[in-house]
Amino acid sequence: MSVWPEERVTTAEGDLDTVDMTVNVGPQHPATHGVFRMVLTVDGELVVDCEPYIGYLHRGLEKLSENADYRQAMGWWDRTDYLAGMCCEGAYTMAVEKLAGIEVPERAEYIRVIMMELSRINSHFMFLGAFGADVGSFGTSFVYAWRERERIYDLFEEVAGDRMFPTYFRIGGVTMDLPDNFESRCRWVLSSVRQGLEDFDGLLTGNEVFVERCKDLTPVTPEQAIAWGFTGPMLRATGVPWDIRKAEPYSVYPELDFEIPVGLQGDVFDRFHVRLAECYQSVRIIEQCLEQMPEGRVLAPKLPKTLRINEGEIYMPTEGTKGEYGVYMMARGGTQPYRAKLRSPSFCNLSALKELVVGSYVADAIIILGSLDIVLGEVDK
Amino acid sequence: MSAEAVIGEPEIVALVRERLPNIPFEFSETKTYADLRVAPEHLLALVTGLREDPELSFDLLRNIVAMDMEEDGLEAKYQLYSFRHGHALQLTAPAPIPSCELPSITGLYPAANWHEREAAEMVGLVFTGHPDPRNLLLEEDLRIHPLRKAHPLQKAEILQGIEDGPPGVEV
Repeated sequence: MSVWPEERVTTAEGDLDTVDMTVNVGPQHPATHGVFRMVLTVDGELVVDCEPYIGYLHRGLEKLSENADYRQAMGWWDRTDYLAGMCCEGAYTMAVEKLAGIEVPERAEYIRVIMMELSRINSHFMFLGAFGADVGSFGTSFVYAWRERERIYDLFEEVAGDRMFPTYFRIGGVTMDLPDNFESRCRWVLSSVRQGLEDFDGLLTGNEVFVERCKDLTPVTPEQAIAWGFTGPMLRATGVPWDIRKAEPYSVYPELDFEIPVGLQGDVFDRFHVRLAECYQSVRIIEQCLEQMPEGRVLAPKLPKTLRINEGEIYMPTEGTKGEYGVYMMARGGTQPYRAKLRSPSFCNLSALKELVVGSYVADAIIILGSLDIVLGEVDK
Repeated sequence: MSAEAVIGEPEIVALVRERLPNIPFEFSETKTYADLRVAPEHLLALVTGLREDPELSFDLLRNIVAMDMEEDGLEAKYQLYSFRHGHALQLTAPAPIPSCELPSITGLYPAANWHEREAAEMVGLVFTGHPDPRNLLLEEDLRIHPLRKAHPLQKAEILQGIEDGPPGVEV
Protein backbone atom coordinates (compact mmCIF):
# COMPACT_ATOMS: atom_id res chain seq x y z
CA MET A 1 0.00 0.00 0.00
CA SER A 2 1.23 3.42 -0.84
CA VAL A 3 1.32 6.19 1.72
CA TRP A 4 0.93 8.87 -0.93
CA PRO A 5 -2.15 8.83 -3.11
CA GLU A 6 -0.33 10.02 -6.24
CA GLU A 7 2.11 7.15 -6.18
CA ARG A 8 1.41 4.44 -8.62
CA VAL A 9 1.70 1.03 -7.14
CA THR A 10 1.79 -2.03 -9.29
CA THR A 11 1.56 -5.57 -8.15
CA ALA A 12 3.10 -7.09 -11.21
CA GLU A 13 5.79 -9.53 -10.18
CA GLY A 14 9.37 -8.67 -11.10
CA ASP A 15 8.40 -5.33 -12.56
CA LEU A 16 7.75 -3.10 -9.58
CA ASP A 17 6.90 0.42 -10.61
CA THR A 18 8.43 2.95 -8.25
CA VAL A 19 8.27 6.72 -8.00
CA ASP A 20 11.46 8.76 -8.15
CA MET A 21 12.12 10.81 -5.06
CA THR A 22 14.10 14.02 -4.75
CA VAL A 23 16.58 14.23 -1.89
CA ASN A 24 18.19 17.51 -1.04
CA VAL A 25 21.69 17.29 0.43
CA GLY A 26 23.14 20.50 1.84
CA PRO A 27 24.03 23.33 1.84
CA GLN A 28 24.20 22.79 5.62
CA HIS A 29 25.17 19.16 5.75
CA PRO A 30 28.31 17.59 7.20
CA ALA A 31 28.77 15.25 4.24
CA THR A 32 29.10 18.05 1.70
CA HIS A 33 32.29 19.43 3.35
CA GLY A 34 31.16 23.02 3.26
CA VAL A 35 28.26 24.99 1.87
CA PHE A 36 27.62 22.82 -1.16
CA ARG A 37 24.19 21.63 -2.17
CA MET A 38 23.23 18.78 -4.41
CA VAL A 39 19.77 17.61 -5.31
CA LEU A 40 19.68 13.89 -5.88
CA THR A 41 16.86 12.16 -7.69
CA VAL A 42 16.71 8.65 -6.35
CA ASP A 43 14.97 5.55 -7.54
CA GLY A 44 14.92 3.47 -4.40
CA GLU A 45 18.58 3.48 -3.37
CA LEU A 46 19.91 4.31 -6.82
CA VAL A 47 20.82 7.82 -7.86
CA VAL A 48 19.31 8.59 -11.27
CA ASP A 49 20.07 12.30 -11.42
CA CYS A 50 22.21 14.79 -9.55
CA GLU A 51 22.10 18.56 -9.77
CA PRO A 52 24.93 20.39 -7.98
CA TYR A 53 24.38 23.95 -6.77
CA ILE A 54 27.34 26.12 -5.86
CA GLY A 55 27.93 29.78 -5.09
CA TYR A 56 26.97 29.89 -1.40
CA LEU A 57 30.47 31.05 -0.53
CA HIS A 58 30.96 33.39 -3.46
CA ARG A 59 32.81 36.45 -2.16
CA GLY A 60 33.75 38.14 -5.40
CA LEU A 61 37.47 37.40 -5.09
CA GLU A 62 38.20 38.48 -8.65
CA LYS A 63 36.33 41.76 -8.41
CA LEU A 64 38.00 42.54 -5.09
CA SER A 65 41.45 41.76 -6.50
CA GLU A 66 40.84 44.09 -9.42
CA ASN A 67 40.08 46.88 -6.98
CA ALA A 68 43.03 46.42 -4.64
CA ASP A 69 46.76 46.94 -4.66
CA TYR A 70 48.78 43.93 -5.87
CA ARG A 71 50.05 43.40 -2.33
CA GLN A 72 46.74 43.95 -0.57
CA ALA A 73 44.86 41.35 -2.54
CA MET A 74 46.99 38.45 -1.31
CA GLY A 75 45.01 38.05 1.89
CA TRP A 76 41.92 37.12 -0.07
CA TRP A 77 43.72 34.52 -2.14
CA ASP A 78 44.63 32.80 1.12
CA ARG A 79 40.97 32.25 1.69
CA THR A 80 40.29 30.37 -1.53
CA ASP A 81 41.79 27.00 -0.67
CA TYR A 82 41.68 27.68 3.06
CA LEU A 83 43.06 24.25 3.93
CA ALA A 84 46.32 25.13 2.17
CA GLY A 85 46.60 28.89 2.35
CA MET A 86 50.31 28.92 1.60
CA CYS A 87 49.85 27.17 -1.76
CA CYS A 88 47.39 29.87 -2.82
CA GLU A 89 49.72 32.63 -1.66
CA GLY A 90 52.51 30.97 -3.61
CA ALA A 91 50.50 30.88 -6.83
CA TYR A 92 49.38 34.48 -6.48
CA THR A 93 52.79 35.90 -5.60
CA MET A 94 54.51 33.94 -8.36
CA ALA A 95 52.03 35.27 -10.92
CA VAL A 96 52.64 38.87 -9.82
CA GLU A 97 56.41 38.37 -9.66
CA LYS A 98 56.56 36.95 -13.16
CA LEU A 99 54.38 39.76 -14.43
CA ALA A 100 56.53 42.42 -12.78
CA GLY A 101 59.84 40.65 -13.42
CA ILE A 102 60.84 40.41 -9.76
CA GLU A 103 63.55 37.93 -8.75
CA VAL A 104 63.09 36.02 -5.54
CA PRO A 105 66.13 35.13 -3.36
CA GLU A 106 66.94 31.44 -3.30
CA ARG A 107 66.45 31.07 0.44
CA ALA A 108 62.97 32.51 0.13
CA GLU A 109 62.16 29.99 -2.61
CA TYR A 110 63.19 27.13 -0.34
CA ILE A 111 61.16 28.51 2.55
CA ARG A 112 58.18 28.82 0.23
CA VAL A 113 58.50 25.23 -0.95
CA ILE A 114 58.69 24.01 2.66
CA MET A 115 55.56 25.98 3.53
CA MET A 116 53.68 24.90 0.42
CA GLU A 117 54.48 21.25 1.02
CA LEU A 118 53.49 21.48 4.68
CA SER A 119 50.22 23.00 3.47
CA ARG A 120 49.78 20.14 1.06
CA ILE A 121 50.24 17.61 3.85
CA ASN A 122 47.82 19.62 5.94
CA SER A 123 45.18 19.62 3.24
CA HIS A 124 45.62 15.94 2.46
CA PHE A 125 45.30 15.09 6.14
CA MET A 126 42.02 16.96 6.16
CA PHE A 127 40.95 14.79 3.24
CA LEU A 128 42.09 11.56 4.88
CA GLY A 129 40.29 12.38 8.12
CA ALA A 130 37.07 13.57 6.52
CA PHE A 131 37.04 10.79 3.95
CA GLY A 132 37.48 8.18 6.65
CA ALA A 133 34.52 9.74 8.41
CA ASP A 134 32.48 9.67 5.18
CA VAL A 135 33.15 5.99 4.74
CA GLY A 136 32.27 5.19 8.29
CA SER A 137 35.15 5.27 10.76
CA PHE A 138 33.60 8.32 12.26
CA GLY A 139 35.73 9.59 15.11
CA THR A 140 39.05 7.84 14.73
CA SER A 141 40.29 9.05 11.37
CA PHE A 142 39.26 12.60 12.17
CA VAL A 143 41.18 12.62 15.42
CA TYR A 144 44.22 11.05 13.78
CA ALA A 145 44.14 13.80 11.16
CA TRP A 146 43.66 16.57 13.68
CA ARG A 147 46.61 15.49 15.78
CA GLU A 148 49.03 16.09 12.89
CA ARG A 149 47.23 19.12 11.54
CA GLU A 150 47.44 20.86 14.92
CA ARG A 151 51.20 20.30 14.94
CA ILE A 152 51.57 21.72 11.45
CA TYR A 153 49.39 24.68 12.36
CA ASP A 154 51.49 25.28 15.47
CA LEU A 155 54.55 25.35 13.27
CA PHE A 156 52.88 27.85 10.93
CA GLU A 157 52.05 30.00 13.91
CA GLU A 158 55.67 29.98 15.07
CA VAL A 159 56.87 30.96 11.61
CA ALA A 160 54.23 33.34 10.34
CA GLY A 161 52.17 34.33 13.36
CA ASP A 162 48.95 32.84 12.10
CA ARG A 163 47.59 29.37 11.62
CA MET A 164 45.15 29.18 8.75
CA PHE A 165 45.62 32.42 6.85
CA PRO A 166 49.26 33.27 7.45
CA THR A 167 49.80 35.81 4.61
CA TYR A 168 53.44 34.88 5.07
CA PHE A 169 54.54 35.27 1.47
CA ARG A 170 55.37 38.66 0.06
CA ILE A 171 55.85 39.74 -3.51
CA GLY A 172 59.61 39.24 -3.77
CA GLY A 173 60.05 36.71 -0.96
CA VAL A 174 58.58 36.07 2.47
CA THR A 175 57.89 38.44 5.37
CA MET A 176 60.54 37.26 7.80
CA ASP A 177 63.19 34.63 8.19
CA LEU A 178 62.50 31.33 9.90
CA PRO A 179 62.94 31.14 13.67
CA ASP A 180 66.25 29.74 14.93
CA ASN A 181 64.89 26.42 16.07
CA PHE A 182 62.88 25.87 12.90
CA GLU A 183 64.88 22.98 11.53
CA SER A 184 64.64 20.84 14.65
CA ARG A 185 60.97 21.73 15.13
CA CYS A 186 60.21 20.93 11.49
CA ARG A 187 62.00 17.60 11.64
CA TRP A 188 60.03 16.70 14.73
CA VAL A 189 56.77 17.61 12.98
CA LEU A 190 57.80 15.54 9.95
CA SER A 191 58.50 12.49 12.09
CA SER A 192 55.11 12.97 13.64
CA VAL A 193 53.53 13.27 10.18
CA ARG A 194 55.21 10.04 9.12
CA GLN A 195 53.75 8.35 12.16
CA GLY A 196 50.34 9.80 11.33
CA LEU A 197 50.57 8.47 7.79
CA GLU A 198 51.48 5.03 9.10
CA ASP A 199 48.47 5.19 11.38
CA PHE A 200 46.20 6.08 8.46
CA ASP A 201 47.67 3.31 6.40
CA GLY A 202 46.87 0.86 9.15
CA LEU A 203 43.45 2.27 9.94
CA LEU A 204 42.12 2.68 6.39
CA THR A 205 44.25 0.98 3.73
CA GLY A 206 44.40 -2.18 5.79
CA ASN A 207 40.72 -2.11 6.65
CA GLU A 208 38.66 -4.64 4.79
CA VAL A 209 35.37 -2.76 5.16
CA PHE A 210 36.96 0.44 3.89
CA VAL A 211 38.55 -1.28 0.90
CA GLU A 212 35.33 -3.12 0.07
CA ARG A 213 33.42 0.13 -0.06
CA CYS A 214 35.97 2.09 -2.10
CA LYS A 215 37.40 -0.42 -4.55
CA ASP A 216 35.86 -0.35 -8.03
CA LEU A 217 33.58 2.54 -7.15
CA THR A 218 33.21 4.87 -10.18
CA PRO A 219 36.40 4.04 -12.02
CA VAL A 220 37.43 6.84 -14.38
CA THR A 221 39.51 6.35 -17.50
CA PRO A 222 42.31 8.82 -18.32
CA GLU A 223 40.37 10.00 -21.41
CA GLN A 224 37.28 10.77 -19.33
CA ALA A 225 39.33 12.51 -16.67
CA ILE A 226 41.03 14.76 -19.21
CA ALA A 227 37.76 15.55 -20.98
CA TRP A 228 36.16 16.56 -17.67
CA GLY A 229 39.14 18.76 -16.84
CA PHE A 230 40.42 16.73 -13.89
CA THR A 231 43.86 17.64 -12.59
CA GLY A 232 45.91 16.81 -9.52
CA PRO A 233 45.24 13.65 -7.51
CA MET A 234 41.96 13.07 -9.37
CA LEU A 235 43.84 12.76 -12.65
CA ARG A 236 46.81 10.90 -11.22
CA ALA A 237 44.47 8.30 -9.73
CA THR A 238 43.57 7.31 -13.30
CA GLY A 239 47.23 6.56 -13.99
CA VAL A 240 48.38 9.75 -15.73
CA PRO A 241 51.65 10.81 -14.09
CA TRP A 242 51.05 14.54 -14.57
CA ASP A 243 52.13 16.95 -11.90
CA ILE A 244 52.81 20.61 -12.70
CA ARG A 245 55.75 20.56 -10.30
CA LYS A 246 57.39 18.22 -12.87
CA ALA A 247 55.62 19.09 -16.13
CA GLU A 248 56.00 22.88 -15.96
CA PRO A 249 58.28 23.34 -12.97
CA TYR A 250 58.33 26.53 -10.95
CA SER A 251 60.22 27.74 -7.86
CA VAL A 252 63.01 25.29 -6.84
CA TYR A 253 61.12 22.09 -7.65
CA PRO A 254 63.53 21.13 -10.48
CA GLU A 255 66.30 20.77 -7.90
CA LEU A 256 64.31 18.44 -5.69
CA ASP A 257 63.91 14.74 -6.08
CA PHE A 258 60.44 13.29 -5.72
CA GLU A 259 58.11 10.87 -7.42
CA ILE A 260 54.58 11.17 -8.75
CA PRO A 261 52.35 8.52 -7.22
CA VAL A 262 49.69 7.26 -9.62
CA GLY A 263 46.67 5.01 -9.31
CA LEU A 264 45.59 2.09 -11.46
CA GLN A 265 41.97 2.60 -12.47
CA GLY A 266 40.84 5.96 -11.08
CA ASP A 267 38.33 4.57 -8.62
CA VAL A 268 37.63 6.03 -5.20
CA PHE A 269 40.26 3.88 -3.54
CA ASP A 270 42.94 5.07 -5.95
CA ARG A 271 42.04 8.70 -5.27
CA PHE A 272 42.47 8.02 -1.57
CA HIS A 273 45.69 6.14 -2.04
CA VAL A 274 47.30 8.70 -4.34
CA ARG A 275 46.78 11.41 -1.73
CA LEU A 276 48.20 9.22 1.00
CA ALA A 277 51.27 8.45 -1.11
CA GLU A 278 51.69 12.11 -2.02
CA CYS A 279 52.11 13.04 1.63
CA TYR A 280 55.20 10.81 1.83
CA GLN A 281 56.64 12.61 -1.20
CA SER A 282 55.93 15.98 0.40
CA VAL A 283 57.83 14.86 3.50
CA ARG A 284 60.74 13.90 1.23
CA ILE A 285 60.66 17.29 -0.46
CA ILE A 286 60.70 19.16 2.85
CA GLU A 287 63.60 17.08 4.16
CA GLN A 288 65.63 17.88 1.05
CA CYS A 289 64.77 21.56 1.37
CA LEU A 290 65.98 21.61 4.97
CA GLU A 291 69.31 20.18 3.85
CA GLN A 292 69.80 22.28 0.72
CA MET A 293 68.46 25.59 1.97
CA PRO A 294 71.13 28.31 1.61
CA GLU A 295 71.67 31.25 3.92
CA GLY A 296 70.87 34.74 2.74
CA ARG A 297 68.08 37.18 2.16
CA VAL A 298 64.44 36.23 2.36
CA LEU A 299 63.08 39.29 0.55
CA ALA A 300 64.34 40.79 -2.68
CA PRO A 301 66.16 44.09 -2.12
CA LYS A 302 65.08 47.41 -3.64
CA LEU A 303 61.46 46.50 -4.13
CA PRO A 304 59.31 49.48 -5.10
CA LYS A 305 57.17 50.90 -2.32
CA THR A 306 54.14 50.86 -4.57
CA LEU A 307 54.17 48.14 -7.13
CA ARG A 308 53.16 49.32 -10.61
CA ILE A 309 53.05 47.01 -13.60
CA ASN A 310 52.79 48.55 -17.03
CA GLU A 311 51.63 45.95 -19.44
CA GLY A 312 51.45 42.22 -19.47
CA GLU A 313 49.45 39.09 -19.24
CA ILE A 314 50.18 35.79 -17.54
CA TYR A 315 48.61 32.45 -16.81
CA MET A 316 50.60 30.89 -13.99
CA PRO A 317 49.76 27.25 -13.32
CA THR A 318 50.85 25.71 -10.04
CA GLU A 319 50.21 22.36 -8.45
CA GLY A 320 47.71 23.14 -5.75
CA THR A 321 46.57 20.53 -3.31
CA LYS A 322 43.45 19.64 -5.31
CA GLY A 323 44.92 20.01 -8.78
CA GLU A 324 46.02 22.76 -11.11
CA TYR A 325 45.68 26.02 -9.22
CA GLY A 326 46.18 28.60 -11.94
CA VAL A 327 46.24 32.36 -11.67
CA TYR A 328 45.49 34.44 -14.72
CA MET A 329 46.42 38.08 -14.46
CA MET A 330 46.44 41.01 -16.81
CA ALA A 331 48.11 44.34 -16.08
CA ARG A 332 47.45 47.54 -17.97
CA GLY A 333 49.36 50.02 -15.85
CA GLY A 334 48.62 51.29 -12.38
CA THR A 335 48.80 49.62 -9.01
CA GLN A 336 45.91 47.22 -9.54
CA PRO A 337 45.56 44.28 -11.91
CA TYR A 338 43.18 44.86 -14.79
CA ARG A 339 41.91 41.31 -14.46
CA ALA A 340 42.68 38.53 -12.01
CA LYS A 341 41.18 35.11 -12.49
CA LEU A 342 41.48 31.94 -10.50
CA ARG A 343 41.42 28.55 -12.17
CA SER A 344 40.36 26.55 -9.19
CA PRO A 345 40.89 22.80 -9.33
CA SER A 346 37.97 21.92 -7.06
CA PHE A 347 35.63 23.82 -9.37
CA CYS A 348 36.74 21.78 -12.37
CA ASN A 349 36.77 18.47 -10.53
CA LEU A 350 33.33 19.11 -9.08
CA SER A 351 31.80 19.93 -12.46
CA ALA A 352 31.84 16.22 -13.32
CA LEU A 353 29.98 15.21 -10.15
CA LYS A 354 26.81 14.31 -12.02
CA GLU A 355 28.61 11.91 -14.33
CA LEU A 356 30.32 10.29 -11.36
CA VAL A 357 27.38 9.72 -9.03
CA VAL A 358 24.57 8.80 -11.43
CA GLY A 359 24.05 5.07 -11.25
CA SER A 360 25.53 4.55 -7.80
CA TYR A 361 23.84 4.18 -4.44
CA VAL A 362 23.00 7.16 -2.23
CA ALA A 363 25.51 6.08 0.40
CA ASP A 364 28.19 5.81 -2.29
CA ALA A 365 27.33 9.24 -3.67
CA ILE A 366 28.52 10.69 -0.37
CA ILE A 367 31.81 8.80 -0.64
CA ILE A 368 32.27 9.87 -4.27
CA LEU A 369 31.73 13.50 -3.31
CA GLY A 370 34.20 13.07 -0.47
CA SER A 371 36.77 11.51 -2.80
CA LEU A 372 36.72 14.64 -5.00
CA ASP A 373 38.21 16.51 -2.03
CA ILE A 374 36.55 19.83 -2.75
CA VAL A 375 37.05 22.95 -0.73
CA LEU A 376 34.20 25.36 -1.19
CA GLY A 377 36.20 28.51 -0.69
CA GLU A 378 37.98 27.61 -3.89
CA VAL A 379 34.93 26.41 -5.82
CA ASP A 380 32.93 29.55 -5.15
CA LYS A 381 35.81 32.07 -5.27
CA MET B 1 58.81 41.33 -24.72
CA SER B 2 61.03 38.32 -24.47
CA ALA B 3 63.86 37.47 -26.85
CA GLU B 4 61.79 34.85 -28.66
CA ALA B 5 59.39 37.41 -30.07
CA VAL B 6 62.28 39.20 -31.76
CA ILE B 7 63.84 36.12 -33.34
CA GLY B 8 60.56 34.68 -34.45
CA GLU B 9 57.50 32.91 -33.27
CA PRO B 10 57.76 30.14 -30.73
CA GLU B 11 57.75 26.63 -32.14
CA ILE B 12 54.19 25.90 -31.18
CA VAL B 13 52.81 28.87 -33.13
CA ALA B 14 54.74 27.84 -36.23
CA LEU B 15 53.37 24.34 -35.80
CA VAL B 16 49.79 25.60 -35.59
CA ARG B 17 50.32 27.66 -38.75
CA GLU B 18 51.72 24.62 -40.51
CA ARG B 19 48.98 22.21 -39.44
CA LEU B 20 46.02 24.57 -39.73
CA PRO B 21 46.92 26.83 -42.65
CA ASN B 22 43.37 27.98 -43.43
CA ILE B 23 42.62 29.60 -40.11
CA PRO B 24 43.81 33.19 -39.67
CA PHE B 25 45.01 34.30 -36.26
CA GLU B 26 47.25 36.92 -34.72
CA PHE B 27 50.06 35.88 -32.43
CA SER B 28 51.23 37.72 -29.34
CA GLU B 29 53.36 36.82 -26.33
CA THR B 30 52.32 36.53 -22.73
CA LYS B 31 54.72 35.97 -19.85
CA THR B 32 54.16 32.22 -19.98
CA TYR B 33 52.39 31.00 -23.13
CA ALA B 34 51.86 32.14 -26.71
CA ASP B 35 48.53 33.81 -27.31
CA LEU B 36 46.55 33.38 -30.54
CA ARG B 37 43.87 35.97 -31.24
CA VAL B 38 41.18 34.54 -33.44
CA ALA B 39 37.97 36.02 -34.84
CA PRO B 40 34.81 34.50 -33.32
CA GLU B 41 33.72 32.96 -36.63
CA HIS B 42 36.98 30.97 -36.78
CA LEU B 43 37.04 30.01 -33.10
CA LEU B 44 35.29 26.65 -33.43
CA ALA B 45 37.38 25.65 -36.44
CA LEU B 46 40.60 26.55 -34.64
CA VAL B 47 39.64 24.77 -31.41
CA THR B 48 38.53 21.68 -33.35
CA GLY B 49 41.80 21.69 -35.26
CA LEU B 50 43.88 22.13 -32.12
CA ARG B 51 42.06 19.27 -30.47
CA GLU B 52 41.82 16.79 -33.33
CA ASP B 53 45.17 17.24 -35.10
CA PRO B 54 47.54 14.49 -33.93
CA GLU B 55 50.57 16.81 -33.97
CA LEU B 56 48.77 19.33 -31.76
CA SER B 57 46.21 17.28 -29.78
CA PHE B 58 45.32 19.86 -27.15
CA ASP B 59 43.19 17.60 -25.01
CA LEU B 60 42.87 19.53 -21.76
CA LEU B 61 40.88 22.73 -21.42
CA ARG B 62 42.48 24.33 -18.41
CA ASN B 63 40.54 27.50 -18.03
CA ILE B 64 38.32 30.10 -19.63
CA VAL B 65 38.80 33.73 -18.65
CA ALA B 66 36.05 36.21 -19.43
CA MET B 67 37.29 39.74 -19.95
CA ASP B 68 35.62 43.11 -20.20
CA MET B 69 37.92 45.22 -22.36
CA GLU B 70 35.67 48.28 -21.95
CA GLU B 71 35.46 50.11 -25.32
CA ASP B 72 36.79 47.00 -27.15
CA GLY B 73 33.92 44.88 -25.92
CA LEU B 74 34.07 41.47 -24.29
CA GLU B 75 36.64 38.75 -24.78
CA ALA B 76 37.11 35.15 -23.79
CA LYS B 77 40.51 33.58 -23.25
CA TYR B 78 41.00 29.84 -23.40
CA GLN B 79 44.00 28.07 -21.90
CA LEU B 80 44.70 24.73 -23.52
CA TYR B 81 47.23 22.01 -22.76
CA SER B 82 48.34 18.87 -24.55
CA PHE B 83 49.24 15.83 -22.48
CA ARG B 84 50.75 13.98 -25.40
CA HIS B 85 53.16 16.73 -26.44
CA GLY B 86 53.37 18.76 -23.24
CA HIS B 87 52.72 22.09 -24.92
CA ALA B 88 50.29 24.83 -24.01
CA LEU B 89 48.56 27.73 -25.71
CA GLN B 90 46.21 30.56 -24.98
CA LEU B 91 43.44 31.59 -27.36
CA THR B 92 41.73 34.95 -27.30
CA ALA B 93 38.37 35.43 -28.99
CA PRO B 94 36.74 38.86 -28.98
CA ALA B 95 32.94 38.78 -28.88
CA PRO B 96 31.18 41.06 -31.39
CA ILE B 97 29.86 44.12 -29.60
CA PRO B 98 26.08 44.29 -29.55
CA SER B 99 25.37 40.55 -29.31
CA CYS B 100 28.41 39.46 -27.21
CA GLU B 101 28.01 35.98 -28.66
CA LEU B 102 30.65 33.28 -28.93
CA PRO B 103 30.18 29.67 -29.95
CA SER B 104 30.16 27.23 -27.06
CA ILE B 105 32.95 24.66 -27.05
CA THR B 106 31.19 22.26 -24.67
CA GLY B 107 30.75 19.82 -27.56
CA LEU B 108 34.54 19.51 -27.84
CA TYR B 109 35.50 19.93 -24.19
CA PRO B 110 32.89 18.81 -21.63
CA ALA B 111 35.01 20.66 -19.06
CA ALA B 112 33.97 23.95 -20.68
CA ASN B 113 30.44 23.64 -19.29
CA TRP B 114 30.95 25.32 -15.92
CA HIS B 115 33.67 27.66 -17.18
CA GLU B 116 31.29 29.04 -19.79
CA ARG B 117 28.44 29.37 -17.33
CA GLU B 118 30.71 31.35 -15.05
CA ALA B 119 31.99 33.52 -17.89
CA ALA B 120 28.44 34.18 -19.05
CA GLU B 121 27.15 35.40 -15.72
CA MET B 122 30.28 37.32 -14.70
CA VAL B 123 30.70 39.56 -17.76
CA GLY B 124 27.63 38.84 -19.85
CA LEU B 125 29.07 36.76 -22.67
CA VAL B 126 26.52 34.64 -24.51
CA PHE B 127 27.69 31.17 -25.49
CA THR B 128 25.51 29.94 -28.31
CA GLY B 129 24.76 26.25 -28.14
CA HIS B 130 25.51 25.89 -24.44
CA PRO B 131 23.42 23.03 -23.03
CA ASP B 132 22.63 24.66 -19.69
CA PRO B 133 22.97 28.46 -19.73
CA ARG B 134 21.87 29.17 -16.16
CA ASN B 135 23.66 31.20 -13.54
CA LEU B 136 26.24 29.17 -11.66
CA LEU B 137 27.75 31.21 -8.84
CA LEU B 138 25.19 34.01 -8.63
CA GLU B 139 21.52 33.88 -7.73
CA GLU B 140 19.45 32.19 -10.38
CA ASP B 141 17.29 35.23 -11.22
CA LEU B 142 20.10 37.79 -11.06
CA ARG B 143 20.90 39.42 -14.40
CA ILE B 144 23.89 41.51 -13.33
CA HIS B 145 27.44 41.04 -14.54
CA PRO B 146 29.71 41.93 -11.63
CA LEU B 147 33.01 41.64 -13.46
CA ARG B 148 32.08 44.31 -15.99
CA LYS B 149 34.31 47.30 -15.41
CA ALA B 150 31.23 49.54 -15.29
CA HIS B 151 29.71 47.51 -12.48
CA PRO B 152 30.51 49.27 -9.20
CA LEU B 153 32.42 47.46 -6.48
CA GLN B 154 29.75 48.27 -3.93
CA LYS B 155 26.09 48.52 -4.69
CA ALA B 156 22.76 48.40 -2.89
CA GLU B 157 22.17 45.00 -1.43
CA ILE B 158 18.83 44.45 -3.12
CA LEU B 159 19.84 43.26 -6.55
CA GLN B 160 16.85 41.30 -7.77
CA GLY B 161 15.39 42.75 -10.94
CA ILE B 162 18.41 44.95 -11.70
CA GLU B 163 19.98 44.37 -15.09
CA ASP B 164 23.33 45.49 -16.43
CA GLY B 165 23.26 47.32 -19.74
CA PRO B 166 25.42 46.59 -22.78
CA PRO B 167 29.22 46.63 -22.29
CA GLY B 168 30.84 50.00 -21.77
CA VAL B 169 27.61 51.64 -20.67
CA GLU B 170 27.40 53.09 -17.17
CA VAL B 171 24.77 51.34 -15.05
